[in-house]
Amino acid sequence: MDHAHRPGRWTIAAAWMVAIYLVLPISIVIPVSLTDQRFLSLPQEALSLRHYATVLGSEAWLGSIWQSFLIAVAATVIAVVAGTLCAIGCWRLSRRSTDLVRAMMLLPIIIPSIVYAVGLYRYFAKLDLLDRFLGVAIAHGVTGIPYVVITVSTALAAFDPRLEQAARGMGASLSQTLRWVILPRIAPGILSGAIFAFIHSWDELVIVLFIASRDVFTLPRRIWDGINENLDPAMAAVAVLLVVFTLALLLLDLALRRRRDA
Amino acid sequence: MLGTGHALALRGLTKRYGSFTAVDSVSLKVERGEFLTLLGPSGSGKTTILMCIAGFVAPTEGAVLLDGQDITPLPPERRDFGMVFQGYALFPHMTVAENVAFPLRVRKLGAADRDAKVRAALDLVQLSGFAERLPRQLSGGQQQRVALARALVFDPALLLLDEPLSALDKKLRAELQEELKVLHRRVGRTFVNVTHDQEEALSLSDRVAILNHGKLVQEGAPAHLYEHPRTRFVADFLGKSNFLHGEVRESVPGGFVIGAGPTRILQAVAENHRPAHGSRVLLSLRPEKIALLAEEDAADNVVMGRIAAWSYLGAGYTLVVETPDFGALRVALPTWQAPIAPSEGLAVRLGWSSTASVPVVEDAA
Repeated sequence: MDHAHRPGRWTIAAAWMVAIYLVLPISIVIPVSLTDQRFLSLPQEALSLRHYATVLGSEAWLGSIWQSFLIAVAATVIAVVAGTLCAIGCWRLSRRSTDLVRAMMLLPIIIPSIVYAVGLYRYFAKLDLLDRFLGVAIAHGVTGIPYVVITVSTALAAFDPRLEQAARGMGASLSQTLRWVILPRIAPGILSGAIFAFIHSWDELVIVLFIASRDVFTLPRRIWDGINENLDPAMAAVAVLLVVFTLALLLLDLALRRRRDA
Repeated sequence: MLGTGHALALRGLTKRYGSFTAVDSVSLKVERGEFLTLLGPSGSGKTTILMCIAGFVAPTEGAVLLDGQDITPLPPERRDFGMVFQGYALFPHMTVAENVAFPLRVRKLGAADRDAKVRAALDLVQLSGFAERLPRQLSGGQQQRVALARALVFDPALLLLDEPLSALDKKLRAELQEELKVLHRRVGRTFVNVTHDQEEALSLSDRVAILNHGKLVQEGAPAHLYEHPRTRFVADFLGKSNFLHGEVRESVPGGFVIGAGPTRILQAVAENHRPAHGSRVLLSLRPEKIALLAEEDAADNVVMGRIAAWSYLGAGYTLVVETPDFGALRVALPTWQAPIAPSEGLAVRLGWSSTASVPVVEDAA
């Protein structure tokens, strides 16, 4: 690789422009969250942590954070179990029809979430799942399945099918093969999928707007309402916390991938 | 552990994939404790046969019998066969000891029993000090031995080997061939091996079954197959061979004479295999059975020729000698026995005895 072509000066400049364009809107919330003013603005005279104190001292914000966390955990469990089983099933059968199943599993990220949300609204009303923890967890879980199917299918594509043959040849039943050979091999893929499914639920807003109103009030929903009603800089503080948390999860995913590829 | 092998039989085993016949009605017996090798070029159906024995492939027709019992419908996990896969298929996330313990864990053996058996199996393949390593920390030869230990640890009825040595370099392969042979003697189990490497087949096996286009061409002890190939394919695939075409001209006691052009070749033959007068015959003649004769030397058959090409191989020479009636003949002779230093264009006298060559038949297409 020593003699590989190095990128030109213009290419590097363009790459930096794109990177800055992507990161700038996110990073703007950091100074805003440290403002000493009482409205959404940049700091005027000094930096202040008062808005962080407001968030961490407010029952409404903490309640929403906790609720979002619980919903994300439940949604992740649903997405991981269903997505992993689907991916393994498709991989084992491996016919033309299973390719179709796999493609269908990606629908939740292909269809605009507002369309999806309208459908869910009509459907959940009949099932009495509107404004319920279970309803939101299911909705987020189902829309999180694609992430798990994608990452687990990728992990399975790299799985040596002879290992399964070897296990069966030595007398292992299907469930023993699954528990002792297949799952440990694809665990990094499952974990990656879980992280994405978690993040998906953690910052999902559109569906929540449709199927929840008062009892279920997730963090993105509270930020949304906050922006619509008053321009409290506490929102910027929440946003920073949200970004930090998400970034931590992504870094965790990166570390896991690096370890697996080592 | 001696004498605990089981006998295996294939009866009319056939596997078709659509219109393609991968295995064509193969019947074969493997005796208790025998080391049988299925030998053939790629696409000869040898691996498919092994997969049918292991239970991973269901035969279209025919049966697999273990000690006379039909096991064709049994799934692989209920056959109790040990198997060494091509590339070994060790579990990368388990240590050597965990890999070897896997078949015992599946059988829900107690921990003490399990540890003792794993230790014994690792001793057997001389890997006692490597129990806690991961497969990727081992060399190819060591991985191969772990695969062997794992396949033998649960006292399988049969050990199946799918190209067990193909991933190793030449020197290591020779070493492990020896080890595998010793191991077979020690455990006294029935081994069925698949390979495309004729040297490996000759050196390892009690018996070799040669396959081509899904059919069993010939089976027998290695020396018998090498010395008495039945068909042109066997003679060509197992070692190297020259082929002499000719017409039966005359019958003599214990043999016959063929003619090709003005040359007459004396060929020994068993009385009951005497070919008809005037029929076309094909003789297989191994390169190492041809001698370079000095002026005064005599032999049953003498042919004149010129060296067209030669190469020096350390232990010996390989010559390609152009002859008027048989075309190019390949001659292999040990360096210390070479009467002359070969050079291109040199005229030489080739000689061989009437028992050196064997009549073979052309293979059906």
